[in-house]
Amino acid sequence: MISGRNGSRLRPRAQAKKSQTREGSSAQRRFRLGTFCLAATLLSTAGCSAIKAPVPKDPDALAEYKAANDPYEPLNRKMFNMTMKFDKWALRPMAKAYVWAVPRPVRNSLGNLVRTMNEPSVFFNDVGAGKPRRAGDMFVRWCVNMTVGLGGLIDVAKMAGFPHHDNDAGMTLANWGIPAGPYLFLPMGPSSIRDGIGYAIDQGLSPWDYVPRGYGLVSFNWAYNLFGVVHARSEHLDELDALERDALDPYATIRSAYQQQRRAQAEAIKNDNRATVPDWYH
Amino acid sequence: MKFLSSRRVVLGAFALLCAGGLFSAPARAAENAKQFIQVFGNQLVAIVNSPIPLAEKKEKVLPLVQKNVDIDGIGRYCLGRYWKTASPDQQQRYLGLFHQVLVNAITDKLGEYRGVNFTLGNVTSTGADEYAVDSTLVRPQQPAAAMQWIVSEASGSPKVVDVIGEGASLRLTQRNDYSSYIARNGGNVGALLDALQRQLSHHNAPAN
Repeated sequence: MISGRNGSRLRPRAQAKKSQTREGSSAQRRFRLGTFCLAATLLSTAGCSAIKAPVPKDPDALAEYKAANDPYEPLNRKMFNMTMKFDKWALRPMAKAYVWAVPRPVRNSLGNLVRTMNEPSVFFNDVGAGKPRRAGDMFVRWCVNMTVGLGGLIDVAKMAGFPHHDNDAGMTLANWGIPAGPYLFLPMGPSSIRDGIGYAIDQGLSPWDYVPRGYGLVSFNWAYNLFGVVHARSEHLDELDALERDALDPYATIRSAYQQQRRAQAEAIKNDNRATVPDWYH
Repeated sequence: MKFLSSRRVVLGAFALLCAGGLFSAPARAAENAKQFIQVFGNQLVAIVNSPIPLAEKKEKVLPLVQKNVDIDGIGRYCLGRYWKTASPDQQQRYLGLFHQVLVNAITDKLGEYRGVNFTLGNVTSTGADEYAVDSTLVRPQQPAAAMQWIVSEASGSPKVVDVIGEGASLRLTQRNDYSSYIARNGGNVGALLDALQRQLSHHNAPAN
């Protein structure tokens, strides 16, 4: 009875309580969900405005926006400013000191060394791009310079008529017809979605990354990479100084020059259809 | 019959002449463009390699540049879509400033080079009355630089309208620089004029 009474009393109350709590919790949940959604929207819009540039309405401005191919401009500019700060306080002084301390002929030789060590990656990309003549040139260069050229210190191959050419996985992808995709400014410099992926592939193509540990070559590899960065920077001291002095918007200038140069480079590799046999064979 | 055939011969000859004219005119213009660059380049190199002081070099290069480079045309190109929105007064002021900026950019380079040499390569047509002349600049102790000179004959006489170094057009890069600067300053051409003015006074400051 009690139970019945209590039960009859309790049940609805309990039901009511239950439904109340359910309602309350669902309301709470809804409220939480609402705030979460709101916060997410706010965050994403805030995030978007920090990452993505608004698409302009004006037709002329829109044409310019499309030509620049830089939808992530706000993010890229942040990365650019950080990189330029690092350059100003660390990389440029190091490059300056290097130029001051090391005479040009020695620097040229060290540059040859760094370049020769990167040439296996260029060779694989020449093969990947389906350019046998370029790949052959690169193979001969590497064999000659690693032996007669004392591990790459002297560019003997160039004297023998096999000059260096650049190639990277970004270019190989371009030759396969893959578009550049949006412009990106990465810590190592101007790039694009395609060239950024290419950069990662190039790291995998470099045989120096497969050196077994404990041979002292790993630390050599680190030294080589860091030295390569300083050396590359030292080759562009005057150009970058002039650019920072003369350009009103260095970011836009670098973006424009980089995109044009990559396009021209891809075009040049595509149009290089020289015969596989060298000139002296004919 | 005889009359007909002779007319055919005459007409045929005339058509051939026209065709020949059609084919040879662009070839001649391309050759003109190459010769123009050869002469202009020789004059420039002669000044750059001469042992006179830098200030004198700059003085000598100035009239050459003014004569052979279409500075106003390049200036208009560089302002891009903002040329239309600029007032005539702003346009005039801009061209005046741009003239000095461009001349400074060229003469600043003079001190860096010595013992320079150049060779010319192919000429290709890049548009109506426009030709690209391939050239290689050889500098001592530095890798050779490939350059393309874009020569326009639209004004009647050949003039340099652009230089392409390592695949990048100088005027296009400059236009992107300017338009980005103006866009980031609320589309105000006056901001660009002020910036150019600042750049010029900054450039002239150490010399004074």
